[in-house]
Amino acid sequence: MANGLTEGLELRRMGSGVVILTAGAALSLVAIIMTARVGMSEWSYAVIFGALIAIGEMVQFRVDRSRNRAPIATSAALGYAMLRGPSVAVPPDVAQIVAVTAVATAAGILPRAIAGLWWDAVVSCRRGVSVACAAAVFGVLAPRDLAWTGRWQDALWLAGAMMAAVLSAGSVDALIGAGQATERYNRPFPAALRDELVVMGRIGLAMGISGILLAAGTSLLGLWAPPLVVVPLLLTQFAFRRFASAQRTYRTTVRSMARSTEIAGFSSPGQNARTAQLAVALGHDLGLTPSRMEALEYAALLSGVGQLALADPSPGGASLLRTRQERQRAAEIGASVIERSGALDHVAEIVRHSNDTYRQGLAKNLDIPLESGIVNVALAYEQLVGEGTGQSPDKAMESIGLGIGAEYDPVVVESLRRVIGRGFRF
Amino acid sequence: MNRRVLLQLVVVLTTTLAVVILGFAAAHARIDAPTVCLGLLMLAGTVLRPRVGQVYRTSLDYVLVIALYLLSGVGSAVLVGAVGALSQDRRHPLVKKVFNGAQSVICAAAGGMVFHYTGGPIGDQVLLHPWDAIWTTTAANATWLVVNALLLCVVLSLEPGDPTPAVFLRKVALPTSPSLLGYGLLGLLLAVAWLSGLGFLSILLIFIPLYVSRWALSQYEAERRAQAATMRAFIQVIETKDLYTRGHSERVSEGVGMLGRQLGLTVDRQSALEHAGLLHDVGKVGVPTSIIQKSGRLDDSEMDAIRLHPARGVELIGNIPFLEEVKSAVLHHHEKYDGSGYPAGLSGENIPYFARIIGIVDAFDCLTSTRSYRPARGVEETLAILIQDRYTHFDPGLVDAFVDVIRRHGWKAAADQPAPDGSVAAAIDHDDLSLGSGGGATGSAAGPD
Repeated sequence: MANGLTEGLELRRMGSGVVILTAGAALSLVAIIMTARVGMSEWSYAVIFGALIAIGEMVQFRVDRSRNRAPIATSAALGYAMLRGPSVAVPPDVAQIVAVTAVATAAGILPRAIAGLWWDAVVSCRRGVSVACAAAVFGVLAPRDLAWTGRWQDALWLAGAMMAAVLSAGSVDALIGAGQATERYNRPFPAALRDELVVMGRIGLAMGISGILLAAGTSLLGLWAPPLVVVPLLLTQFAFRRFASAQRTYRTTVRSMARSTEIAGFSSPGQNARTAQLAVALGHDLGLTPSRMEALEYAALLSGVGQLALADPSPGGASLLRTRQERQRAAEIGASVIERSGALDHVAEIVRHSNDTYRQGLAKNLDIPLESGIVNVALAYEQLVGEGTGQSPDKAMESIGLGIGAEYDPVVVESLRRVIGRGFRF
Repeated sequence: MNRRVLLQLVVVLTTTLAVVILGFAAAHARIDAPTVCLGLLMLAGTVLRPRVGQVYRTSLDYVLVIALYLLSGVGSAVLVGAVGALSQDRRHPLVKKVFNGAQSVICAAAGGMVFHYTGGPIGDQVLLHPWDAIWTTTAANATWLVVNALLLCVVLSLEPGDPTPAVFLRKVALPTSPSLLGYGLLGLLLAVAWLSGLGFLSILLIFIPLYVSRWALSQYEAERRAQAATMRAFIQVIETKDLYTRGHSERVSEGVGMLGRQLGLTVDRQSALEHAGLLHDVGKVGVPTSIIQKSGRLDDSEMDAIRLHPARGVELIGNIPFLEEVKSAVLHHHEKYDGSGYPAGLSGENIPYFARIIGIVDAFDCLTSTRSYRPARGVEETLAILIQDRYTHFDPGLVDAFVDVIRRHGWKAAADQPAPDGSVAAAIDHDDLSLGSGGGATGSAAGPD
């Protein structure tokens, strides 16, 4: 239990998370007090939707790299925010919506925390904030006595208001998410926002539309609708879970395979992982898209794979010690190996040019990806600073600075200077 | 011959039935806005068919036809169901296309009959009697699934070859039916959203979640394929160390796959077994190339280095979230049934199941491949060696199953290998049974010297 609690609530590492957490908690508290004063309306709906939110929160799963998602909880909360007649005689007001969401979310997180599963209070608070936003927008656009009468004018107005509410919730969440990414990974804000909006357009929209279905169905059919909508929602969640787990398996496979160069003695333990860590930090700093980030990480991990086909390991895996031609040959072999998998063509392209000098490569040939330059710099820096060799970051930065424009891409070296300046350490 | 006549009879019968049903449906169908809109959508879906794949199309059929039961009645639903069969895979022969079309008409009609006679609500009644709508559509949906499975089983039992009806039911019909029942509910939701006043805009509400879950599933498939391809590529790199073992891991994976299917493993374990077969020698990457390529016999320390490769393999793949069985199989694939193997000296049933399977196929592929010091053995000759070594090296039951599989399905032995060169005393394969202690094994398999 302690483990779960510390994972979910590690304040030191959260930064702006504290702000989000405080805002969410304050919002919930105010909403609960207001609701307690006025009294709940339509208990049965509150209980059913609350249960859905809690269950959705319990069965959350991890997608992307570090983020948990609870699509059922999000859809249920959005659905609860947009209820209207004829079934729901007294639609819940904004305070009640926020209160029910908050209580149900806490009820869903509790078993996870007790079981020691991964959970994230910040993500849940983000949902609370965006649901409050959706409830407010919907409340303004759709008067409380507007009901689903079967007339297309009413239906269209309600559907439009729902769309607006869902979109505003999505935009708020994307803004907060982009802020967090900027803070955590030092991504430029516009790039982070673009990535968040892309994600919102896919998973977010599906969750929002499911919320709309849930709300419209419940308003028309009463409490028959939630179980009805939940079945297809579960199917969707199931599909996503499988996708997420296949993705994780694939990532660990690539990581494990990258370690084969260490087991074979071509590189020192952890060398690939360190190179990849730095390359990812550089990629974040330069604001690469998520798919390019992924290719970059794989390329950094796999950059040494070509050595497997060479006869003897060089001592300590110091590939900087060997001639550039030899390294380029290894890179070429590695690229052709990676290409053979048929799934990582872009990665192969990055690896192929990862040992070209800037002057002969990137500066002349615009087809060579920027990522090759990143991997090149990351490899060099790791060689200088990584375990065993142990130069100081400043000294290494200095010697890499000497190769700027000739050996290394100036853009990447500038980025490295920023990343190191912010205190990046292996 | 007899079967073909029967098959033709079945096709003619179903087609006639379908035509009669279509006639009835056309007479009773209401051509209203939902019929036209969803019919057009179905048509659009058929045009897109080659791009989106069969399963997606099936779920689209379900959603649309079940929505139409509720919106416009059974007649319209059957007509639109028939529209769905208009365009099919071009590679299919005409008979198959006709049968598929007839099949979808009959299924839609059977579901529709159930819906009609259980008193399924139509139009505005749906909103007033939601429970009736839920259970009648689910009953209709279930009937559809059963009739569909029955028709396919009849055809599969008359058509020789894969898959048999039992396999079809176990591998295709049963696993997909829960999700298809779920998509049926999506059809009901489409009807409700339509009746709410949204009209054809309701289509958007339904298809965005459907599309996203399809997207996730296709991504899942893509990730799985990527993983398989990536592992194969790596295995190939590791095998570049030794010319003679090229393709060995993939053939072993193929072989254990054949044996696993014979043993009737579940889908998950089957793919785990194939992964284990592919990865069993991955630890060889940690064995110095000089030892792998060494000419002549290996001394004890070199042999020890070879004996480390299963542990190295587990070290390498330990983080990948495979089933535990994959890791234990990689670790123990050199154990022998009599306990004389390595690394743990396990014997009998104590050796993990997958490891016993891989041990057999591993030895088999080695013996049927060319080595620098000997030519490849024939398949029958090798099977005889395996049978001889039951109990000493291998699990006797599994050997019997494997011999059975190979005799039935044949074996594609290694090709494109350099011919053995008598003048060169060259690398010795650690898997090779036909060698004494210097190689991999001892025992009766140490063939003619």
